[in-house]
Amino acid sequence: MSQEHEHGLPPKSSVSRWFLTTNHKDIGVLYLITALFFLLFGGVLALLFRLELITSGADLLGSMGYNQAVSTHGLLMVFWFISPFAFGFANYLVPLQIGADDLAFPRLNALSYWLYLFSGILMGVSFFQGTTFAGGWTMYAPLNTPAYIPGEGLGATSVVLALIMFTAAVTLGSVNFLTTMYRMRAEGLRMRDIPIFSLSINLTVWMMLFAFAALLAALMILASDHILGTTYFQYSIDGTTMATDADNPGASLLWAHLFWFFGHPEVYIVFFPALGVMAECFQTFTGRRLVGRKWFIISMVLVALQSFVVWMHHMFLTGINLPIKTIFMATTIGISLPFDLMVFSLIYTMAKGRVRFTTPFLFSLGALILFIIGGITGVFLGAIVLDYQFRGTYWVVAHFHYVMVSGATALFGGLYYWYPKITGKMYNQTLGKIQFGVYFLGFNLLYFPMFLAWETPRRVFVYPEGLQIWHSMATVGGFVLGASFLIMFYNLFVSLWRGEDVGPNPWEYATSAEWAVSSPPALENFPGVPSYATGKLEFLDDETVAERTEGTPGAAAHGHAATDGGTATDGGAVTARAAATATAMEPAHEVGGEEHASHASFWPFLVSLAGFVTFLGLSGVRTGSVFYLSLATVGGIGTFGSLLGMTREPFHAPEMAIAERWPFERVEKMKLGMWTFLASDIVLFGAFIGSYAFVRVAYGWTAWHHDLIPAEHVTMPGLINTYLLLTSSFLVVIAMVAAERESKRGTVAALVGTFALGVGFLINKGLEWQHLFHIHTEAFPNGWNLSTNIASSTFYLTTGLHGAHVTIGLIICAYMTVRAWNGAYQGDDRAIEYFGLYWHFVDIVWLFLFPLFYIL
Amino acid sequence: MAGIMVTLTAVVFPLHGGDVRAPSAVFNQIFEVFLLLGTAVGVVVVAYTMYHALKYRDDGSEEDPYADKVERPEMGEMPTGGTGGRKVFYSFSISAIIVVSLIAWTYSQLLYIEQGPDPAQEEALEIDVEGYRFGWDFIYPNGHTTNTLRVPQDRVVRLRVTSTDVFHNFGIPELRVKTDAVPGQHTSAWFTANETGTYTAKCYELCGSGHSLMTTEVIVMPQDEYENWYAETEGPTETETAANETGGGDHQIAPATVGGAPA
Amino acid sequence: MDWKGYTVIYVVLFAFATAQAVVEFTGLVDSAYWVAFALIMVLSVVKAVGVAAYYQHLRWEPRAVTYLVLGGTVAALALTGAAAYSIL
Ligand code: HEM
Ligand SMILES: [Cu+2]
Ligand SMILES: [Cu+2]
Repeated sequence: MSQEHEHGLPPKSSVSRWFLTTNHKDIGVLYLITALFFLLFGGVLALLFRLELITSGADLLGSMGYNQAVSTHGLLMVFWFISPFAFGFANYLVPLQIGADDLAFPRLNALSYWLYLFSGILMGVSFFQGTTFAGGWTMYAPLNTPAYIPGEGLGATSVVLALIMFTAAVTLGSVNFLTTMYRMRAEGLRMRDIPIFSLSINLTVWMMLFAFAALLAALMILASDHILGTTYFQYSIDGTTMATDADNPGASLLWAHLFWFFGHPEVYIVFFPALGVMAECFQTFTGRRLVGRKWFIISMVLVALQSFVVWMHHMFLTGINLPIKTIFMATTIGISLPFDLMVFSLIYTMAKGRVRFTTPFLFSLGALILFIIGGITGVFLGAIVLDYQFRGTYWVVAHFHYVMVSGATALFGGLYYWYPKITGKMYNQTLGKIQFGVYFLGFNLLYFPMFLAWETPRRVFVYPEGLQIWHSMATVGGFVLGASFLIMFYNLFVSLWRGEDVGPNPWEYATSAEWAVSSPPALENFPGVPSYATGKLEFLDDETVAERTEGTPGAAAHGHAATDGGTATDGGAVTARAAATATAMEPAHEVGGEEHASHASFWPFLVSLAGFVTFLGLSGVRTGSVFYLSLATVGGIGTFGSLLGMTREPFHAPEMAIAERWPFERVEKMKLGMWTFLASDIVLFGAFIGSYAFVRVAYGWTAWHHDLIPAEHVTMPGLINTYLLLTSSFLVVIAMVAAERESKRGTVAALVGTFALGVGFLINKGLEWQHLFHIHTEAFPNGWNLSTNIASSTFYLTTGLHGAHVTIGLIICAYMTVRAWNGAYQGDDRAIEYFGLYWHFVDIVWLFLFPLFYIL
Repeated sequence: MAGIMVTLTAVVFPLHGGDVRAPSAVFNQIFEVFLLLGTAVGVVVVAYTMYHALKYRDDGSEEDPYADKVERPEMGEMPTGGTGGRKVFYSFSISAIIVVSLIAWTYSQLLYIEQGPDPAQEEALEIDVEGYRFGWDFIYPNGHTTNTLRVPQDRVVRLRVTSTDVFHNFGIPELRVKTDAVPGQHTSAWFTANETGTYTAKCYELCGSGHSLMTTEVIVMPQDEYENWYAETEGPTETETAANETGGGDHQIAPATVGGAPA
Repeated sequence: MDWKGYTVIYVVLFAFATAQAVVEFTGLVDSAYWVAFALIMVLSVVKAVGVAAYYQHLRWEPRAVTYLVLGGTVAALALTGAAAYSIL
């Protein structure tokens, strides 16, 4: 045990450790436990509505109760259970498998976890705000807007905000994992050489980075419709009459596009980690290397890419045109083929093996079989003529449970596989196998009858008499499935004490690096620096490392510690993004080579707690209630303060001395993190601009300008702001040049100039908005404000999001100006460069907003 | 003379709907083929999987029976692929051919469903459908509006569907017709019913508290009966009071009463 | 790059922004909307590429960083283009 090395981290038996820890293994465990809690939460809801469905009619939950249970079950399982469960393993194992001692930004990792937990708590709180969200996990518009939500609808708003918070956690996590995997691989491990589970996580986070950014756009727009009164998802403004020439004919379809653009990649985001676990378990328990590994990997890459061009197969009936349906039918069938290959690759891996039917293998094999059934029924859906009839029925429900819960099955296998590694104890194999039996039986009893009862529309509690038998069977199956978890929880819980101690590797033929170290691994993971340079795992001692790094210019890595920091914002929806942004702000504390890595920080917890309070407050501000207003205010201040505290806390996460870094060798980790984050921000803004283009096309591109925009909306303010931003961008690069030349005065002057121009930008915008809010013309007698029409909504929200980015940039800029005044950055302009990346990006966005919203 | 007669009957009684291949026939045929092949492929692949799992199970013997054929992975090795990849390709190719040809075959049927039977031949009855929470308005060419869909037997019926509030989906399962009802958009679908009788239309997209009960009757009548009924309905009428039983505490949107006849 | 280089870029960007406004003031937006549209968007793209290449130093970074940025851009364009096309 390495208790004495824990660098200020209390022992695991102490509660405070779990609030402080930034270590990837601790956080992995936290994720696993929290996700299992949400599994129970979502599971109980499912059992409730399965009970309801045992006979036709809503005699148990009532109609709104039923809709709430169905909707939150879906949201909880998809968002709060399955991906976080997979990321529990990813947190624990990816650094171990690739030979790193932690993730690239340990504090951000802790922040991801706490944001996730608090987002789930917010979701829970929503049940107590009247009614929670009841519009299905797909949240179709306009049922998702307050006009159609019974009562005050605050619970629904909370759910939207909880999802935003969750998305923030995911985005930080994606940036963190990508930076880790591209900067911290053991020597000799090319990307294609990393163990298959880690590879699957790599592709998962790539999809997450882009897909969740689109979801974030959808959710921010929806939150704005809820809280600020924009009208993106409302078809007509006053909500009581429906004119034939709609105000916003694109409203409903806009949500469908945004949601499914995220939603389809999401189903692979859910499934890929499971696929990775299956492949690991198959290799270990068959004693064979993965057959066709190269093609397996190529298939995964293809699926990850293609997952972004199949989304409209969820929209075949929405009236989209035939050519686009044809294209999306082709891509959908195309994407099923790589899966074919992966399935066969797994099957042939068993050939000539020494297959041992341990608990984890049973779950993996079971998952494969369920996936085969789910995949075949997916092909039915890919045939459009069939899909037309399956859409909205239990066929879809049965299909996606077979595939998604097959993924969950594999993950439970993963739990049994890595449990000995995480706890150092072995569980009772017999009980494990019994659980599998009960689980598999329950699963099929629950979901197979749904194929037979496929004529039932989904999300209804009334169904034809003739189908009762299948629904009753499914309900029984649901309880059997639920009961199997009691066995699992009992087994795993009791084994913590009574389980036999295991050595480093309890499974014959396991090969990846996590099995080469003790169970559980030491805080710093490895006994030396891991290397695969000779083709086999070795641990280099300090001396060898010192020898090897000497004279290498790239040895900047050695001894450089970087701080992953956060900065404060106004506590809006962008809070957590800002934290990632602000990693730029305080990089590269030069510390002596002997400095130890930090493992503890209380700030991630505090930031998330304050963020939670803010969001809870925001959920009710539209009622004008003092309670909610004060929550939002207190939370906002708390978020700002704790982000500032986090930024100022010294925290050391050293770069590895020797590592494989293709293709980002020359991109220092802070810079890579920043670029990755910006890539997701591109998609966020892209989705906003895409939404604008979509609703405008739906309305009539050229009529838009004429019908909806007042003549007072002129080009000049936009042009002036373009000049201001361009000039400020110029000054940031000048600040860099000055810092490089060690001119303190120049640096400070340029930063002050940047700040002043940014403020000018905001003031100019404020004046322009004020003017437009208060115009009195024939066409717009009551001014042109957020709720006036769809054009005003898109204008204020899109440029408002940009304005929020400017504001965050200004806060960072102010902080850096103070630091520069105190002599920072001289001779090392990296921090300014990273801030500049963000600032120039904000500039670039404006270069597109200006013509789109002012000229065209 | 005969030609004129035929044309005349066609105008009064467009009987051809009976000869048209109904969407339900198209669906049933494709579904059957898919079920058959899908089950076959499923059974074969799952059996194949189980065969491998059982055949190569570790019987606990000391000796590795395949020691001379394959190498076992070792702790700490760099991950690589195992041998036997060629078989993966063969199996993959077979399944890919099945999948791709199946879908290609359905595509021609899709074009038929999309375009409908030749319009010159089949004079379709066009009905506008408006979904609202929680019911349906059916608007006939003469402007008559009802909550029950009445259509003649053996005639192509074309629906133009939209919604006046939230997203719904209009479907008549027995007749295999379904389409989304999207506010601000119009979608269309067609069907023909060969048997008289009463069917049920349902909503297939969650739309609020009354969603589960958002059903309505579809009555397929013999052509002459239909003509009689239709002749009685001149002009727009009051919306029948039906369907709309549920409402809960929902913010209720008044169903639009449509005035003039469209087209 | 030194401050002279940065200044040249700045001047060019400034001029292009002005050019966009000029396109509007000359009335081209009203007389030939789609020509003006294409012209203005091309100018925006050129400016964006300029800022990314020089101010954000993409020119001097490993190409992989550019691909990362392009990845996000292509995803956003796919969403915008395909969604808008689907209802045409
Ligand atoms: C084998 C290839 C697959 C094909 C061809 C396929 C095809 C489809 C299609 C066309 C739909 C839309 C059905 C409709 O609503 O009308 C659908 C729904 C769905 N699929 Fe798949 N799918 C496949 C694999 C998967 C996988 C691997 C997952 C996840 C692990 C998945 C998860 C889902 C989900 C969650 C839905 C329903 C979403 C909803 O409406 O709530 N599918 N699938
Ligand atoms: Cu999909
Ligand atoms: Cu409905």
